[in-house]
Amino acid sequence: MNWGSIATLMLPENLLLAGIVLLIGIEIVMRAPRGELALALLAVTAAAAAAFWLYTTGAGAAPFPGHFSVTPATLLGKAVVLALAIPVLLISRDDFAAGPFHILLLSSLYGACLLLSSDSFLTLFLGLEIMSTPVYVLVLLAYRRPESAEAALKYLVLGGAASAALLMGVSLLYGGSGTLAISAFTQALVSTDTMARAGIVLVIVAFFVKAAVVPFHTWAPDAYEGASIPVTAYMATIIKAAVLLAAARLFAEGPMRGSIADLLALLPLVSIVWGNLAAMRQKSFRRLIAYSSIAHAGYLFYAFLGAGPTRFEAVLFYVLAYGVMNLLAFAALPPHADDAARDRLDSFRGLFHRAPFAAVLIAMAMLSLAGIPPFPGFVAKFLIFKNVIAAGYTLYAVLGLVGSYLGIYFYLRVIQLMFMSEEQAKVTHGKPGALTLGAALACLAAAIVLGVYPASMLGRF
Amino acid sequence: MFDAALLNIVVYLPLGGIALLLAAPAGQDAFVRRLTLGLMTLQLALVAWLYLRFDPTVAGLQFETRLPWIASWGVHYQIGLDGYNVLLVLMTAFLGPLVVAGAFTAIRKDVKLFYSMVLLIQFAMLGTFVAQDLFLFYVFWETMLIPMFLMIGIWGGERRIYATIKFFLYTAFGSILMLAAVIYLVLSLQSTTGITSFAFADLYRSQLPLDVQCILLAAFGLSFAIKVPMVPLHTWLPDAHVEAPTAGSVILAGVLLKMGTYGFMKLGFPLFPDATLAFTPAIMFLAVVSIVYGACVALVQTDIKKIIAYSSISHLGYVMLGLVSLNLYGIQGAVIQMVSHGLTAAGLFLMVGMIYERCHTRELADYGGLAKLLPVYSVFFAILTLASIGLPTTSGFTGEFLVLLGAFGAAWQQYELGSTLPLALASVAVSGVVLGALYMLWFAQRFLFGAAKAPHQPFGDLDLRERAILGIIVAAVFVLGLFPDEPMRKTELAAKQFQQLVGTSRTGVRAAGEPGRGPAASENGAPRFARAGTGSAP
Repeated sequence: MNWGSIATLMLPENLLLAGIVLLIGIEIVMRAPRGELALALLAVTAAAAAAFWLYTTGAGAAPFPGHFSVTPATLLGKAVVLALAIPVLLISRDDFAAGPFHILLLSSLYGACLLLSSDSFLTLFLGLEIMSTPVYVLVLLAYRRPESAEAALKYLVLGGAASAALLMGVSLLYGGSGTLAISAFTQALVSTDTMARAGIVLVIVAFFVKAAVVPFHTWAPDAYEGASIPVTAYMATIIKAAVLLAAARLFAEGPMRGSIADLLALLPLVSIVWGNLAAMRQKSFRRLIAYSSIAHAGYLFYAFLGAGPTRFEAVLFYVLAYGVMNLLAFAALPPHADDAARDRLDSFRGLFHRAPFAAVLIAMAMLSLAGIPPFPGFVAKFLIFKNVIAAGYTLYAVLGLVGSYLGIYFYLRVIQLMFMSEEQAKVTHGKPGALTLGAALACLAAAIVLGVYPASMLGRF
Repeated sequence: MFDAALLNIVVYLPLGGIALLLAAPAGQDAFVRRLTLGLMTLQLALVAWLYLRFDPTVAGLQFETRLPWIASWGVHYQIGLDGYNVLLVLMTAFLGPLVVAGAFTAIRKDVKLFYSMVLLIQFAMLGTFVAQDLFLFYVFWETMLIPMFLMIGIWGGERRIYATIKFFLYTAFGSILMLAAVIYLVLSLQSTTGITSFAFADLYRSQLPLDVQCILLAAFGLSFAIKVPMVPLHTWLPDAHVEAPTAGSVILAGVLLKMGTYGFMKLGFPLFPDATLAFTPAIMFLAVVSIVYGACVALVQTDIKKIIAYSSISHLGYVMLGLVSLNLYGIQGAVIQMVSHGLTAAGLFLMVGMIYERCHTRELADYGGLAKLLPVYSVFFAILTLASIGLPTTSGFTGEFLVLLGAFGAAWQQYELGSTLPLALASVAVSGVVLGALYMLWFAQRFLFGAAKAPHQPFGDLDLRERAILGIIVAAVFVLGLFPDEPMRKTELAAKQFQQLVGTSRTGVRAAGEPGRGPAASENGAPRFARAGTGSAP
């Protein structure tokens, strides 16, 4: 394979890399750097477009055989992850004017792209670390409250533990199979060898930590609350999407049976129930979203109970629908001088009368996250539970659905506060910037398309 | 073709209306009201046209639209009118302008949002009735909850938030289990026949063993029974009704409750005929309990809205009784009773709203002798009361009489086969008629007659707008009571189809040796996913 085609197949990554290099150059050369946001936006948009273009051409090859390969599915996954990053950048202007934010974000996205294309555990690990490390810094970057430092540290330690678990699992798998190819994972799924099974469990646990599945979720509420809004949005949507898509690549069409299936059903089930129950008691919007994301991690891992060929599509549609609706809520959140006040659920009281448009958008996002039609969250949930029932896990599906029912209450409470409660104290919001408004409208448009015509994203593979 | 497009326009007209309302400048409340009223009237005119064009001699769908929606799942956008829904669609469109006009003076807060919600719920209700694809049906079914949730929660009374969250959580619980059943049903159709479809017509051909049918009917039935509501799943209804604004109560009683009985008629019973037969005594028992319990509780209420709320439980018990009788009288009576209750309950709730606007209390004890104070109001109230208890010449009589005729017909057959229970239940149901007369007449007596008293005197009698609203409802009540023939002709074929669907066993016992027909059927012939389990099976 010549360098030209390698460069083309890695076009999304290369565009991101070019963006990173240019941003660093600007930072070094210019005394008062300007236009970083525009450059970052351009790089991410171009990368997303490139991924989608490559997907439409049906590109499929391995630029680095055994380590890095692209298929239409991974390209569509990259396009989704990168496209979700665009609203994050758009809403970041109020919080991050300086350059490091954009460099870190693009580096993290680069890691996500690598992760989605990895064929060996080596690239998988690299991708995961390149994706996560900048986020530890991002949590700290908008240092507004002492809690940020604590949150970042917690995230760093638990993220490190996850990496350690992953490495340990991979070494066990390597010891058993003698190969670093991720196909060793699917082969080990059917193995009865204790070492292979231990390896699988450790790898799954690492993914559970990264995706915040109970009981490995404790970092999420603190990290989400400590970070500033764009970073919270980034963690809740893109990191989660990339981790789950990587898991879908790892599990591929591997058989799911016995105790591994139970592990992949029970902990996510607990996650759904616990996330939804704990969210009821939250007073901070970001903590609420954190617990909601813990529950959603549960639904997402349910997708792996479905038959092999259905998994990637279910995960992809879910992370897209979930990401769009989360970003819609964050983009619609009215700005406020005091970050803590902006976040308090009490400040949502009577929001409809102060900012009707924002209130309606947040309400739509909440209903979609609750899985109420006609919003895309419903179609996403329907797809996952359809696959789970089709694979024969009817009992788990019913329990999961009942668990999802528990979540309706706290999403409704947000709507109740915005529409049905009187303001307690006068809250003064700032006006949302044009870019934030643009992000909200883009998310709204995507939500409408996904809700009214979900077939646009289904049946593509 | 033209009429099919017209049906789509009818359904989406309210959505267009919402867009118009959003574009309207702020502060133009009078314009918003008139615009909504105009749209609703236009919708009614279009529905009336479709109703007249509806051919009663054609079995099956008319004005059908069928387009692929989510092709890879076999989901279609399929809507159409048939004998099941044509009367209910007409009733929904009929109540639309009345609801809007009834709220003209009552709603002063967030007017634009309010009428948007009225239009949204109208859209969702019509969509639920005309949907002929289970996925589409479910989407509309759930969409209904959102505007109702907001309507009770924003414009409701004192305990509105408690009431509206209770309403949402109650109904959503039924829906969640129904969702699991929907998925299971569609997958079983796929594995036994190889057809991947959510269309009702295809699902009517599914073959399921009796135990599976029972579980699925329980899941569907729970969702529908909560909506009806059948005792003991009714406790959300009084709260929702009491706290809801008048328009919310009217929509709730007029249309939303019929979603439950319509669901049983269109989906629950015909999809699972064998389970229906197995459950018939239980459903009949619950229906009779609803009739008698609703009536008894209505008797002792002191809040006038609660009296009518509990009377709804009682009246919808008749609908269920008629449906499970499975004979033509009972089924057609049930449909007529649905429409009749839609008219009388809507009228009575509107009247409660009118008196509440004047006196700001719903305590029955605060009122008395309104016949002297508000003569016109009292005449309308008396007529609607009599219609509600089923006086001949009113719509209530036609419905209740046919239902009881059907129930006794079915019970007598059972009696001849040696089972006395249905006959006993049917006899108890008759006592509901007496109880109904008792509580409504006692209510009217305390309300309208005796020493004249009412808080906040003096107040004017009904104005022209209110007289027009009630006059239209009363006229419809008499038309349906005196000429039930025409609407019954429109529903007759559907009633026969219902009878035939429920009467045909579909347990799908295959002859031994016949291989599984579906691609996903495993070696023992059972659907692959039918393995209940935890996944640890080998």
